[in-house]
Amino acid sequence: MSARPPLALLGAPPAFEHPLPVGQLNFPDWGAYVEAMRGIFERQYYTNQGPLVQTLESTLQARLDIPHVIAVTNATIGLIMAAEALQLRGRVLTPAFSFVATAQSLSWAGLEPRFCDVDPASHHLCPEAVEAALEEPEVSAILAVNLWGDFADVPRLRTLALRRGIPLYLDSAHAFGCVSEEGPAGTLGEVEVFSFHATKVLGATEGGCICTADDTLAARLRNIRSSYGAGPPVPVARTANGRMSEAQAAIALLELERLPAIIERNHQLLAAYRTGLEGLPGLHLRAPQRAVQSNGQYAVCEIDAAALGLNRDALQAVLRAENVLARRYFHPGIHRLPPYRDGLLPPGGLPHTDALCNRLLQLPVGQRVDTADVERICDLIRLAHTHADAVSSTMEVAR
Amino acid sequence: MSERAPKRSVSDLAMAGAEPLFARPRSTSSLARPDFERFLAYSREFHQAHQFTNNGPLVQQLETRLASFHGTAHCVSFCSGFWALVLAIRCLALPGRREVVMPSLTYRRMADVASWAGLVPRFCEVDADSLGMTPALVEPLLNQDTALILGVHPIVNCFDAPGIETLALAHGIPLLIDAVESVRETIGGRRVGGFGRAEVFSLHASKLLNGFEGGYLTTDDAELAGRLALIRGFGFQGPDEVVDLGMNAKLNEIHAAMALAGLDQLEEQIERNRALYLAYREALAAIPGLRLVAFDQSEACGYKNILVELLDDWPLDRARTLSLLNAENALARAYYAPPLHQRPYAYPVIAGPLPVTERLGERFLLLPCGHFVDAQDVAAIATLLHFLHTHADDLEGLPE
Repeated sequence: MSARPPLALLGAPPAFEHPLPVGQLNFPDWGAYVEAMRGIFERQYYTNQGPLVQTLESTLQARLDIPHVIAVTNATIGLIMAAEALQLRGRVLTPAFSFVATAQSLSWAGLEPRFCDVDPASHHLCPEAVEAALEEPEVSAILAVNLWGDFADVPRLRTLALRRGIPLYLDSAHAFGCVSEEGPAGTLGEVEVFSFHATKVLGATEGGCICTADDTLAARLRNIRSSYGAGPPVPVARTANGRMSEAQAAIALLELERLPAIIERNHQLLAAYRTGLEGLPGLHLRAPQRAVQSNGQYAVCEIDAAALGLNRDALQAVLRAENVLARRYFHPGIHRLPPYRDGLLPPGGLPHTDALCNRLLQLPVGQRVDTADVERICDLIRLAHTHADAVSSTMEVAR
Repeated sequence: MSERAPKRSVSDLAMAGAEPLFARPRSTSSLARPDFERFLAYSREFHQAHQFTNNGPLVQQLETRLASFHGTAHCVSFCSGFWALVLAIRCLALPGRREVVMPSLTYRRMADVASWAGLVPRFCEVDADSLGMTPALVEPLLNQDTALILGVHPIVNCFDAPGIETLALAHGIPLLIDAVESVRETIGGRRVGGFGRAEVFSLHASKLLNGFEGGYLTTDDAELAGRLALIRGFGFQGPDEVVDLGMNAKLNEIHAAMALAGLDQLEEQIERNRALYLAYREALAAIPGLRLVAFDQSEACGYKNILVELLDDWPLDRARTLSLLNAENALARAYYAPPLHQRPYAYPVIAGPLPVTERLGERFLLLPCGHFVDAQDVAAIATLLHFLHTHADDLEGLPE
């Protein structure tokens, strides 16, 4: 009788003592944090477009070579503000293969998402699907999403939007630090929104920013945010609170200095995954397709259950038992979540979105893992493949 | 001329080109600075846990502490008081109805709050004595389309929350309370936080509890608290399970650390506020034409805001008074002006005639207070006000 495979799911002790999350979770070291906070306590300027927020905005404007960067408290509120500033009405074309906040931002702005399918190879909004939906009534914008440190087919989507005379704006929550053939993320849409959530490549606990080259939109955005003196007052339908605090800006500025090192480290981890998983049947580690420079913040695996011997959920269960908190991004598609279950879909549904939602698994990249961890994770995946039958039967019993 | 040097002639006024009374502005914002080491001690907890947001250890601690402070079963924190209000209205509003009854003499973004929640504000008159809504003023506005009553505590003391609570119960309409300016207040000895279905507070730096930015809601309603805790985090109930229309309205850990440090020192701050308030009370008593709105010291008070009514015998109009003070770097502010029903809107609002609100809307101003103001500043501001009263007739040649 052969020994039991050394997998936690099958009764062995977990490979990792502490959970390994998928998020980036970068943060300044304690000394840098203390100094930054001391500065705020000395200035006694805590929020309302303070000196650090102003510095962050001007630094990002210079870095991206774009006229306006508006720092916000988080990217979802940034997207809501973007829809409001664009003065959209009715429906907005957007993928259901995204984080749920993409569609939620439309709902809060009083708009209805009209979901379009994605391209199965690129994972991004399918231009043909968008083109077909553009014929429908009440479509007032395209909200495309740049995923995984890569890019949607922005040039083609822009052509379609221009032809229809509606704006193309971008959820670039994943895309800070990425560069496409057309230029850096932040400069590609009429409005483009980044996330500085802790799980992103540039983390500020919570946070984000809105980029635009349009003076009128920028003025509206600053007024909607409530900016206390930043720029001239212009009429907007309604204001909100989207302000970033000095504490958030302090962290973003510190992390911006470290960003090249963070991205470099991400690529080292991804290279370790690539090496560790090379030749393994049924698991494809996605590489950027349109990015000429990626931030490397996600390790996205496409699982072919037949070839791997395990489906995505079984592999996730194996890894979670080992304290590897692999995630199913995105699962399920937004069109299968409330309140969008009866939402606007194309006649044939979203088959490519559904397929991707059942096939993708994210592995840990970021501050909480190192290359030795990655090698160990790859070994565990290989073990799961080797012992696929034992894993599957355990999963069956558990069910 | 040194700081706080009294103005002896009109030519000493900043409006006449002289040095301002204060080199550094004195505002109406609290801007309390907690002890730095205390803030760091809290910060260390999230830093060591590597958790920077998403219902982290300090957010949980803060919510427990605030629920206990307000004597409620639950507290839910948010990235701002603004979004706390929007999400609470969204949860509490009676389905199928569209009107929110709210005072007109209140926070300038309050109508926008209702609009973001998908509802229509119906503006209510206030009572001249309390500056708040009363049951008698609210009752005639209730109808088959009333989704929610949004009571707002004025900046000094409280509105009749128990009375409106009774009215709301009788009509089966939920009462939500904006208690942003009444953190520490009691009504009949009962701490604000537990009235109505829920109460909302701010952690903005200008408020009593400085959390940089932030807000929180207190309630005894477990279901409401649970739903709000989901909605502020995109509606996630589990790792992949979204159950409701949510958004991101989470409070981050640094902001929670700041609020915790401030909460530890709240009573020290109250003592300081109280001393400033008493200094104002004494100094302003000698100036004709000004009435300090008194805190009701039979109840617990925060003593933060210094609200003054310009009486009929005050010789300058409010705008002129404010511009003269502001030129001196005494950043006094108009109290909720213009009232909400007198503003333009791009969305529907409902308002009948509100004569009391319109009259009150022109009479009040807030004087500098908070962490940057000390007793000498109060004396200097009072001396300046006295000077303005005495020399009102000589100010005509100054710029508008």
